[in-house]
Amino acid sequence: MPRTTQGLPVWLTRSAVVVGVAGLVAGTAACSSSSSGGSTKTKGVTITVALAADAPPKAALAAFTQQTGIKVKWVNIDWDSLQTKISAAATAKTYFADATDVDWSRVGQLGKLGWFYPMDKYLNTKSMTADLPQLASFTTGGKVIGIPYDASFMVTTVNTDMFAKAGITTMPTTLDQYTNDLKQVQSKGISQHPLNIPFTAAEGLSTYWYETTGALGGTILDSKGKPQFKDPNSAGYKAAQWMVDAMKSGLVPPGNINVSDSQGEQTLMAKGVVASTFSDYSGLVGSLYNVPSSSSVVDKVKYLPTPGATGPAANLSNPDGIGIPKQAKYPNAAAKFIEWFTSVQQQVDFSGANGAGKAWAAYALPSHLSAVQQMTSKGNLVGGDQLSAMLAKSKPVFPGGAPPWYPQFSNSVYTHLHAAAVGSESVSHAIDAIASTANGLAG
Amino acid sequence: MPGSAIEDATGTPPVASSPTHRRGTAGKPRRSRRSGFETLLPYLLVAPLGAFIIGLALVPAAFTIVQSFYKVNPLDPPTRFTGFGNFTKLFNNDAVVSTFTNTAFYVVVGVALSTVLGITFAMVLRRPFRGRSILIAVLILPWALPGVVEDILWTGIFDPNNGLINSLLSSLHLMNGNAVLLGQNRLLTITFIELVQVWQITPLSALLILAALQLVPDELYEAAEIDGCSAWAAFWRITLPLARPGIAIAMVQATIATLNVFDQPYVLNGAAATGASVTEQTYFISFQNLDFGQGYALSLMITVVTLLISLVVVRVVYRRVDL
Repeated sequence: MPRTTQGLPVWLTRSAVVVGVAGLVAGTAACSSSSSGGSTKTKGVTITVALAADAPPKAALAAFTQQTGIKVKWVNIDWDSLQTKISAAATAKTYFADATDVDWSRVGQLGKLGWFYPMDKYLNTKSMTADLPQLASFTTGGKVIGIPYDASFMVTTVNTDMFAKAGITTMPTTLDQYTNDLKQVQSKGISQHPLNIPFTAAEGLSTYWYETTGALGGTILDSKGKPQFKDPNSAGYKAAQWMVDAMKSGLVPPGNINVSDSQGEQTLMAKGVVASTFSDYSGLVGSLYNVPSSSSVVDKVKYLPTPGATGPAANLSNPDGIGIPKQAKYPNAAAKFIEWFTSVQQQVDFSGANGAGKAWAAYALPSHLSAVQQMTSKGNLVGGDQLSAMLAKSKPVFPGGAPPWYPQFSNSVYTHLHAAAVGSESVSHAIDAIASTANGLAG
Repeated sequence: MPGSAIEDATGTPPVASSPTHRRGTAGKPRRSRRSGFETLLPYLLVAPLGAFIIGLALVPAAFTIVQSFYKVNPLDPPTRFTGFGNFTKLFNNDAVVSTFTNTAFYVVVGVALSTVLGITFAMVLRRPFRGRSILIAVLILPWALPGVVEDILWTGIFDPNNGLINSLLSSLHLMNGNAVLLGQNRLLTITFIELVQVWQITPLSALLILAALQLVPDELYEAAEIDGCSAWAAFWRITLPLARPGIAIAMVQATIATLNVFDQPYVLNGAAATGASVTEQTYFISFQNLDFGQGYALSLMITVVTLLISLVVVRVVYRRVDL
């Protein structure tokens, strides 16, 4: 029986397809009839909401539909894919959702590209500022392009039981005291490697450095995007040195070279392997460390006012926001949804303060100060007093808004800090390389 | 009959001699229409696939080639011609250049290992035995499951603090602590990442080679045995030569998979230079930095390299087999 095998066409390689899609996207952009300016209808329409989270309770969405006549189709897309979709759809000027994620780190980029409607057009954002301290993280060029729907900010968490066993009765308020206390925890044999720093080359490492830099009283970039960390005496340089030294001296578990932020939280902090995370996520004490099914340190981990250079420092924000892409079919209806979705009452419901039936499993912490205070007063928020105080004083990572080239800068930050921790680069070389990237991008 | 209406484009013999035509002109048009339809039918059937390939592969490929010579970045408009500017920048980008070495390692190790293992599995599965179909089903699983899902599973296995491998080594007192640690040592990192990919792509290689082996008639082996040929010699002189078409296809698919490796290094090792692949850089450049021009250029380079390697593999390994 004759057998022949034809040479396969190898055009269809993955890369060709990936960039081919981008090509089609860019190609269709030129001739696309779709453009910004969807329908102003708000009754009897169905909007698509795309976020990297499971849908809120059906009853909550049904109540919204009953109130407004707007049906919601919820799409859960993982964060990375969602960012790619946002870019691809905006480049091709194609509809994919009426409301979607606006990540704090992409605010500058999205603002410059004009891919999202200014929320000021639909909501009175000025009146929100006092109760939404993190609104600043979504403001670029004087315009608000997203509304924070949860309050994520970086906090220091401490296993007080381990500290107590090491004989530490007064919690540290400065970074030096904090470092000495960790060494004491280590020397007493309470924890072999007491500090959690996620050194895998990913965004969590960048934010850890920003928070440490902020704690030492510095900033990463100035308002023009120029690096503020090249000088060995600068806060950014010292922060990088402190992190790498902690790794090399054994304060950080050696395996953390390949541990991401979420892995570190779940397998190190929640299991009582480490005693502290300097830059942890707000709300985790209640949502992870105090959950018996996933934690062996229930009631032992507390929030600690971030130890700074001379005393407690401010916490930096990395919140999640929601906005309206320019290709939305029903931007006005989407705005109504965002108003409802980010309202104080809804946030309190989502966080579980009004019963488990109204709680949204994906929800961490309300972005409205008044919502946090309501939860605290009802006793529904673990560490609520501390969290509301920290939220009130929280600051954006970049006071002038994240620069348009932030993703490229962050990539440089985490790859070089990772390399410094591995030992393939010195801290000085890593800092030079990161600064060079920032200078090149800032122009 | 040049210029005659009865000569068709397909080279079908002139129909004037057919019985239909001898019956007169009344039957001629109907016969001709049917013949025309029959001629067109294969093209009509293939047309949707052709349109699909043209629309989703050839047009984007052509677009990619053209746009790779342009500066295409929505953050830096307008789109403008830069000649080889994108390519020059890529070769001057240390992060990109370092991924060339990693990717070359992935290709060499991945293709070699998946082919050897594919041949081995195909040889084992060639003869019927009890539980063979179950074994084939199990073998297919790593290939059939989504890559990211599998890589998350492997993240747990490689977890430096609580992962299966380190825990096992530690409990067996073979090594202490984080002996197997991705990200620390480049060679170790890319080796483990590639082993995970080999685990995923080998099932398809095995099945492709198995399909080729199953067409080899048993008579050849029987004749070889009568001639005093050992099993090893039969493998070298009968099995391998006759399985070459299947092996060539398996190697080409392994080449494509390894040159475009993305999920494994991204999920297991993040963006670290110790394991990053060229496709990861394509993703970062295109969708993180929004520099589509450089993304097109890098993608074009990957496609050309894939094409060249595949052509070499087909030329060296593939042989037409007539049985």
